[in-house]
Amino acid sequence: MKRWQIILVRMAILALVLGAWELAPRMGFVNPMLLPPLSEVLAMLKTQIARPVVQEAIMITALEVIVAFIIAVPIGAAAGVAIAEFPYAGAIFKPMLFYVFSIPKSIFLPMFILIFGIGFQQKVAYAAFTTAFVVLMSATAAVESVKSDYILVARSFGATPLQILRRVYVPSMMPVLLETLRISMIFNFTGVMIAEMYASRTGIGHLISNWGENFQMPQLFAGVIMLAVVAIAFNETVRFLEARCSTWRT
Amino acid sequence: MQYVADMKAAQTAGAAIDIDRVSHVYAGPEGGVQALSDVSMKVGAGRFIVIVGPSGCGKTSLLMMMAGLRDHTEGRIHVHGAPIPKPDPERVGVIFQEASLFPWLTTFDNIEFPLSLRGMSREERRRRSEPMLSLVGLTGFGERYPHELSGGMKQRVSIARGLVQDPPVLLMDEPFAALDEQTRMTMGHELLRIWSTTNKTVVFITHSLTEAVYLADEVYVMSPRPGRMIDHIMVDLPRPRTYEMMATDTFGRLRDRIWQQIRKSH
Repeated sequence: MKRWQIILVRMAILALVLGAWELAPRMGFVNPMLLPPLSEVLAMLKTQIARPVVQEAIMITALEVIVAFIIAVPIGAAAGVAIAEFPYAGAIFKPMLFYVFSIPKSIFLPMFILIFGIGFQQKVAYAAFTTAFVVLMSATAAVESVKSDYILVARSFGATPLQILRRVYVPSMMPVLLETLRISMIFNFTGVMIAEMYASRTGIGHLISNWGENFQMPQLFAGVIMLAVVAIAFNETVRFLEARCSTWRT
Repeated sequence: MQYVADMKAAQTAGAAIDIDRVSHVYAGPEGGVQALSDVSMKVGAGRFIVIVGPSGCGKTSLLMMMAGLRDHTEGRIHVHGAPIPKPDPERVGVIFQEASLFPWLTTFDNIEFPLSLRGMSREERRRRSEPMLSLVGLTGFGERYPHELSGGMKQRVSIARGLVQDPPVLLMDEPFAALDEQTRMTMGHELLRIWSTTNKTVVFITHSLTEAVYLADEVYVMSPRPGRMIDHIMVDLPRPRTYEMMATDTFGRLRDRIWQQIRKSH
């Protein structure tokens, strides 16, 4: 199939889904109380975005996401590189970390609430905690993806350790690192949302959870669209960078 | 420029590479493992030397020692009159198995990698890499990435990268092992052509007896671990070598002698 054909089919499917969303509740195929028509949701989205309360919630959520990300990525990356680079550290910690990684992180949420309360700190701490694990695992994989042959070649040409880091490790790891960043942001966002929906007085997750409890479906769907747009935009930005940095990968 | 003086000294002494009673024991999980035992060889400048031996006999270790990439426990290794405790790209160029090109760099950038480590300007690097590219027969492929090249072409790039700093000694660790038979023959022939125009001292490791006799001035045969030199064979076939020589009695006899030595040592 040609590229334009693929795009055409995608557009058709999207139109079909959105059309069904609009028509199905109006024609009585689904309960409009549970699924309000698209046009109603979009109108609600416009109203909600104009409200200062919602704007404030978006700002707080965004701040939580960013701060948690800034904390989690360096910690996870440093730990991951250490485990990959020092065989002893790897032998000791790797199995333990894999065990902990397999536990659903949300069961620790009550503990975070006891320690940090239900404010900003708790959201950031919980999201950073869940994200750091993902970053750690991926960073380890990134370092291990650097072939020892490349290092030997660089050494044979007299490269210093710093040159090996800059000229071999960094370019070799770059595609995996960007992928890590993208996936860890998904986990990070999820972490903040779960924490906000579980117990919170602010944030977009809190609003969505409230709307759900009060059976305000147009508001709920408007919130979902808001979040989806932000998450997809971030994901696509990193994916674009990823593609540019990994033209050499086949 | 120290190495130029060393080179003169080495030439008067008659050896580009002088390996004197080298042994190596490395620490294994159950105590020391003897990898090399009392290995000696003298390589004259400009000679083409091939080392053959069974897998795990330590021939790659020996090559890495000549490149300054690995230590040895006993004995002495001199390359152009001086020990080589760490890699010295001005004296020794190394060409690895499977080419080992950096996949994120173009052909030009791969060849220029050793020069860029020394902070050479882009123009100067290109001025040096272009003749190398044409020497290995890849003019016009400078902007390609490794995944766009065939196995033989990659190995040509790797040879160009090894030659770009013009080291007097070239060490090659089974460079054609991953290639198919036909490409391998062509590459051997190409290597001899390049060698004859550059006057390098070459130490070449291979498993292929035909390749050994076809390429070498001298063949060293190593025993299984701990690796020892068990034979040193002069290949007195005329140069330039031709594919027809492989069918001659002399070629067959030399090939057979190497085979007998390897078989006996098992």
